[in-house]
Amino acid sequence: MAANTGQGRGFVTFLVGFTVTCAGLYLSNKLLLGVGLIVVLVSLFQFLKLKPLEGKTAQGPSPIVMKLFGAFLAALGWGITLFGMHLTGGTTGRIVLALVGIGVSLFGMIYVLPAAFNKNAIWKA
Amino acid sequence: MNLIRRYCLSLCMLTLGIAMSVAAHAQAAAPAAAPAAAPPPSAAELKDTAAKAPTTADLAKGDPGGSLTGTVGDVPVSDTKTGLTLGDTASQVGQNKVAINFVWTLVTGFLVMFMQAGFAMVEAGLCRVKNANHTYMMNFFVYGCGLLAYWLIGFAIQMGGAAGNSNLGGLQPLNAEHSTTIFGKTWNLWGQTGMFLSGHTYDVGVMVLFLFQMVFMDTALTIVTGACAERWKFLTFAVSSVLMGAFTYPLFGNWAWGTGWLSQLGSNVGLGKGYCDFAGSGVVHAVGGLTALAVALIVGPRIGKYNRDGSPNAIIGHDISAVLIGCFILAFGWFGFNPGSTLGASANGNLRIGSIAVNTMLAGCTGTFGAILYMWALKGKPDASMSGNGLLAGLVAITAPSGFVNTVGAAIIGLVAGVLVCLSCAFVESVMKVDDPVGAISVHGTNGLWGVLSVGLFADGTSNYGGSWNGVTGSVTGLFYGDASQLAAQLVGISTLLGFVFTFSFLLNLVLEFFIGHRVSAETEIAGLDIPEMGQLGYPEFVFREEAGNFTEVPAAAVA
Repeated sequence: MAANTGQGRGFVTFLVGFTVTCAGLYLSNKLLLGVGLIVVLVSLFQFLKLKPLEGKTAQGPSPIVMKLFGAFLAALGWGITLFGMHLTGGTTGRIVLALVGIGVSLFGMIYVLPAAFNKNAIWKA
Repeated sequence: MNLIRRYCLSLCMLTLGIAMSVAAHAQAAAPAAAPAAAPPPSAAELKDTAAKAPTTADLAKGDPGGSLTGTVGDVPVSDTKTGLTLGDTASQVGQNKVAINFVWTLVTGFLVMFMQAGFAMVEAGLCRVKNANHTYMMNFFVYGCGLLAYWLIGFAIQMGGAAGNSNLGGLQPLNAEHSTTIFGKTWNLWGQTGMFLSGHTYDVGVMVLFLFQMVFMDTALTIVTGACAERWKFLTFAVSSVLMGAFTYPLFGNWAWGTGWLSQLGSNVGLGKGYCDFAGSGVVHAVGGLTALAVALIVGPRIGKYNRDGSPNAIIGHDISAVLIGCFILAFGWFGFNPGSTLGASANGNLRIGSIAVNTMLAGCTGTFGAILYMWALKGKPDASMSGNGLLAGLVAITAPSGFVNTVGAAIIGLVAGVLVCLSCAFVESVMKVDDPVGAISVHGTNGLWGVLSVGLFADGTSNYGGSWNGVTGSVTGLFYGDASQLAAQLVGISTLLGFVFTFSFLLNLVLEFFIGHRVSAETEIAGLDIPEMGQLGYPEFVFREEAGNFTEVPAAAVA
């Protein structure tokens, strides 16, 4: 089962919920905001219900902890750069710490995350 | 008070302008005579000039030479009894300046909007014919998804605190920014006005800014569709695009362009002129490219892309003519992207648009050379799709520095980008084993980051957009021209793109993977997405060529 009316209706629900949420924010109306968020959640659960009906995908299972660790490393690199900005007042020190931060982020993004997703990749089978 | 101040300022400028032109005229007539101080024009002189305006009868005869159209008679008069006054003239001068900038910004925005067509052709051309309709439709619908989300909330987050741009009349309604204080400094985080473009933001200047920023945002969104083509579920693409247009893009956009904390790095901690990204190598392209990487990781490679030993197979696109024509459309649109980012053509150093346009042109040229020569010399053929990607890589890389560098710098930046895109495509495909059918991660992500970095290296310190940038007096100057602190600011920007934008996009799409699932079923993927996802073939009268076995066999794990 590919694109279908259930998906279409779910997307309409999502858009309505999102619009109402934004209207609630704009008008500072907590009721509207709450209703909007609930409608968005309803749409997500509509999608979740449809998901198993759509057939198997060509993807192997991948370790979630490793995926989150990769994302954590990417964010940690940013933290190092930001902290480094306040750790030293010198331009050279800031450049070095920013480069260290970028290196940590890249390690998470181009080594850890691909390794996580390719661990049980379907093309290996 | 502001009005009075602006009125006085305009009056002074007008007087100065008239005085200078009179002086210049006197010099031309009698070069030997010493220039005399010209008296300010009196009301009588103004009336005299007005009286000489062509009459209705003169105009009724036609004006083939164009000398009667557009004279003092066209300056609106506020009070018909007193006739034309200096105030009327000064107001008209001010309005002309803003009008020129409005028209410039709108027309360049229209050019950027047309880039969507270029993206659609490039992406669809690089995909197989069985997925043509789906790929075109993603590029078509991303425009609507992004626009809706940006109108609802994205624009407010990005530009809600961006008041103060005199090019577009001040933009005073955009005056609320959420900020926080860290280590004794105030840092701006997101804008708070402009949702639905209602209330005070129902304003002519705000509308112009919205249109221009919206088409930029949509460019970022459409980058992701290329990297995930041929296996991305249409529903998930739509929801993901709405969320990216609402949150991911606007947040970074605010930090760089909406008076956010990256733009304050200069004024708060002395890093150059703060993070500088003239037209969006970082804000648009790196955000799009890094989000593309995040989603491509989650969605996984296409069936048949990799062999069991991990070696990649080339999956050839169906229409190289669409790819190359699409690249030209994009290069044309880039003349809106970069020169348009001055947000004006009149005043505040905006005449630099000529230099920006030439830099754009040059970097695209050297980017093409870089890719063609690299492929030809090392792989034996001047590969067409990589040549197109070389052009785009050069354009992406020059986007951030286009307003700050000279032509030699632009040529070097483009050349490096052209080679870099070839290396990056090979790295992403063979080392990371991430399947990117169109090379979007390399073209926009890698070269977007290179563009941001190159500002910190090549900015030559000659630009002068009203005497300051990001609230710091002076001109943006890179390491090679003596300011290492600008490089530090650019590195902080790069780190933010990698550490925040990528992580945020990745986690957001991981949530969507749980609820919706990013990928179509294996059967749908093998059949082609056109019929199962869109209900119609892109080219119904084509006879499909039989594909190799590894592209048509359902993997065992997908049916178990």
